[in-house]
Amino acid sequence: MNNTFQAPTIEYGQLAPLLLVFGAAVVGVLIEAFAPRYLRKSFQVPLTFVSLLGAFALILVQVFVSGVPTAPAAMGAVAVDGPSLFIWGVILILAAVSVLLITDDDHFVPQAAAVPGSAEEDDALAEGAAHTEVYPLVLFAVGGMLLFAASNDLLMMFVALEVMSLPLYLLCGLARRRRLLSQEASVKYFLLGAFSSGFFLYGMALIYGFAGTVDLAGISRALGTVSGQDPLLLIGTALLGVGLLFKIGAAPFQAWKPDVYQGAPTPITALMASGTLVAAFGALLRVFWVALGNLDWDWRPVMWGVAILTMVLGAILAITQTDIKRMLAYSSIAHAGFLLVGVIATGDARQNADALSGILFYLLVYGITTVGAFAVVTVVRDAGGEAGHLSRWAGLGKRAPALAGVFAFFLLAFAGIPLTSGFFGKYAVFAAAATGGALPLVIVGVVSSAVAAFFYVRVIVLMFFSEPAADGPTIAVPSMGTAAVVTVAAAATVVLGVFPEPVLRLADQAASTLFIR
Amino acid sequence: MGETITFWVLAVVSVSAALGLVFSRKAVYCALMLGVVMFSLAVLYAVQDAPFLAAVQIIVYTGAVMMLFLFVLMLVGVDSSDSLVETIRGQRFWALVAGLAFAALVGLAIGNTIVGPAAGLAGATQAAGGNVPALAQLIFSRYVFAFEVASALLITAALGAMVLAHRERVRPKPTQKELARARFFSGYAPSLPGPGTYARNNAIDMPALLPDGSVSRLSVNRVIARHDVDDDHFPEDAKLADAIRQAVEEEGK
Amino acid sequence: MTTHYLVLSALLFSIGAVGVLVRRNAIVVFMCVELMLNACNLAFVTFARQHGNLDGQIIAFFVMVVAAAEVVVGLAIIVTIFRTRRSASVDDANLLKY
Repeated sequence: MNNTFQAPTIEYGQLAPLLLVFGAAVVGVLIEAFAPRYLRKSFQVPLTFVSLLGAFALILVQVFVSGVPTAPAAMGAVAVDGPSLFIWGVILILAAVSVLLITDDDHFVPQAAAVPGSAEEDDALAEGAAHTEVYPLVLFAVGGMLLFAASNDLLMMFVALEVMSLPLYLLCGLARRRRLLSQEASVKYFLLGAFSSGFFLYGMALIYGFAGTVDLAGISRALGTVSGQDPLLLIGTALLGVGLLFKIGAAPFQAWKPDVYQGAPTPITALMASGTLVAAFGALLRVFWVALGNLDWDWRPVMWGVAILTMVLGAILAITQTDIKRMLAYSSIAHAGFLLVGVIATGDARQNADALSGILFYLLVYGITTVGAFAVVTVVRDAGGEAGHLSRWAGLGKRAPALAGVFAFFLLAFAGIPLTSGFFGKYAVFAAAATGGALPLVIVGVVSSAVAAFFYVRVIVLMFFSEPAADGPTIAVPSMGTAAVVTVAAAATVVLGVFPEPVLRLADQAASTLFIR
Repeated sequence: MGETITFWVLAVVSVSAALGLVFSRKAVYCALMLGVVMFSLAVLYAVQDAPFLAAVQIIVYTGAVMMLFLFVLMLVGVDSSDSLVETIRGQRFWALVAGLAFAALVGLAIGNTIVGPAAGLAGATQAAGGNVPALAQLIFSRYVFAFEVASALLITAALGAMVLAHRERVRPKPTQKELARARFFSGYAPSLPGPGTYARNNAIDMPALLPDGSVSRLSVNRVIARHDVDDDHFPEDAKLADAIRQAVEEEGK
Repeated sequence: MTTHYLVLSALLFSIGAVGVLVRRNAIVVFMCVELMLNACNLAFVTFARQHGNLDGQIIAFFVMVVAAAEVVVGLAIIVTIFRTRRSASVDDANLLKY
């Protein structure tokens, strides 16, 4: 019997951004427990911003002082490599911007336990009650996103997936207005999310059965050494893919996205549409490039089909939508398809780096534009809350030219018109895919972009060239936070559309080392 | 040999319990069926050299998780049985087809996989001195970060349950004195009838009467009412019988 | 024996998945998801013995932790919507459509 226990080594320096976010979340929970009610928000908001921006600063320190690590951290559980650091930075920026929207209490229910429409709810509203628990929940979700994109074994990835998802399930159900819709979105997201993580887990079990390990590098090694167990590997890969594609919202697993995006409080929708997508792509790339990279001959045809279906379905169904948030949800599905084109564009190391850098850049620009677009949605209001129906947006250009102009600009960026950031994002991904031999996919991508552009232009025409309704929606005076979000997002969309060079180079550098194993 | 017998017995039990979970109409039966599956799996873990997991399965799954399910069922909808009407046409059929196809696919895949003799866990656990110490060494070394992060999950769960279920009183609960005062100030202050004043039966299946003689709809027990209708067994008083019928009809809507 | 256990786990997983698709009551649907997770655990434990390493058992342990947290959150959400609507059927959740 040999009981010498080797203490684990944990690289606290590399994991510092992650630990800071989780630590702040725990402190936030303690504030909920001990601070008096009226002080909580004034503690929580600075804490949340300090931790998100502090984590971002720690990433900069890591990159410029210590250099990009070359080996996995925390006993091989977390890979803090170039792509991870870039994705972390993107997630933290997007989360910080989304939190600016969240600070506007107006979006969240005053008391979730009070039945909608009850006297209790009115009382809570009159008292000005608010759920400041939202902030720690958001921090936990962000922590999960960071970890999800950087996990180096499947177990870590599964735990991170749940850490990311559980707070989001909860936050979805906390909308102040149209609460039944919000709660249904929450139930739907939860049940489908749990269902899909069941598939992820079974895929993980089969792959463990194949390789005898859940370490991504170990799986990659086992691809070359294990024989006679291919069925396990192939079915495992497929099931793992189902779990990940669900989180991305790729067709045919996209059904939850419009419902959840519509029902959730809009700031949370902004966080999900940007942060979750980025994190899920990080994880997808890691699984399919690092662990299953040598199997690309097998998964690529399926991924082709998924990408085409996602792009086409997203673009076509967007046209039939009448609700602005659902339309943005379908646009997010289509964009997930465009990003999948980049995932398929693998080849030699140089080609992989190009595709990866394209994806990273696309994730950043798409995320920022999305948060901006949802911020605009929060401002256009009816008596019952946000004016979701598209017909209510008619003539907005005459009532609020600046706001409508910014929204039109975001839509053009989604469409990928030159001089917006969306153009360079699409260009980077499609160019990499074209050199990677996925030319048919690029053609489908361009065509479905054009179809989607048709719809965006239709919304713009509706806003600027039709008469405003007499009882049209009011434009709420945006809070400081919301105004800041719209400004930042618009500025980023312009700057990245005109001078994308520095950020593209940064993405190139982050991608050049590829994923460490 | 012992393992083979255990396996076959428990395999039959767990698969039939799982089928029972899917096909029994009453939610409480479903919960009990799930409990049977979990218990059988615990035994199968014990057979497969995983005594720690067997214990945790019993404690966490059959203990905590199942109790939570039953608790919520009792709280929420013990009397709501599933409707068997399909809302999406053909959904059931295609779900069954897909399920069978999936089972066949995975079953064939596993059947076609060349599986060598099991390595057994003796080698892995011997160095540490048993299953539990060996697991502990792995959890606190290789998987320590996942272990730490799992705490975030537990905190989220506690916080989430608090947010969704904890009702904070916005204004203090009125005391009896305040209630009495409010009643007198309202200008109409008869003394309230004592409990049971208007009751003519003290059986749970009899709806109660309100002070004006009408039937209190709130007092109709929906489960018993359904049985009453099924068995065609009604109170003699036509008013009460009507209330029961109405309650069942409303529920059916 | 390994194959037997794996087939059992596949069977339980499929039954759970079918249950998720055919049942209406949100709580029962969730129970079916739990059945799927249990089936996964059986596969992990079986593979652990097959490979002679304990990683599979560790994963099964973590799955139990995750499932416990998930049950708390899920049931809290279901109870909330039940209090609003007095029904736990997923079909009544029809405000959201395609």
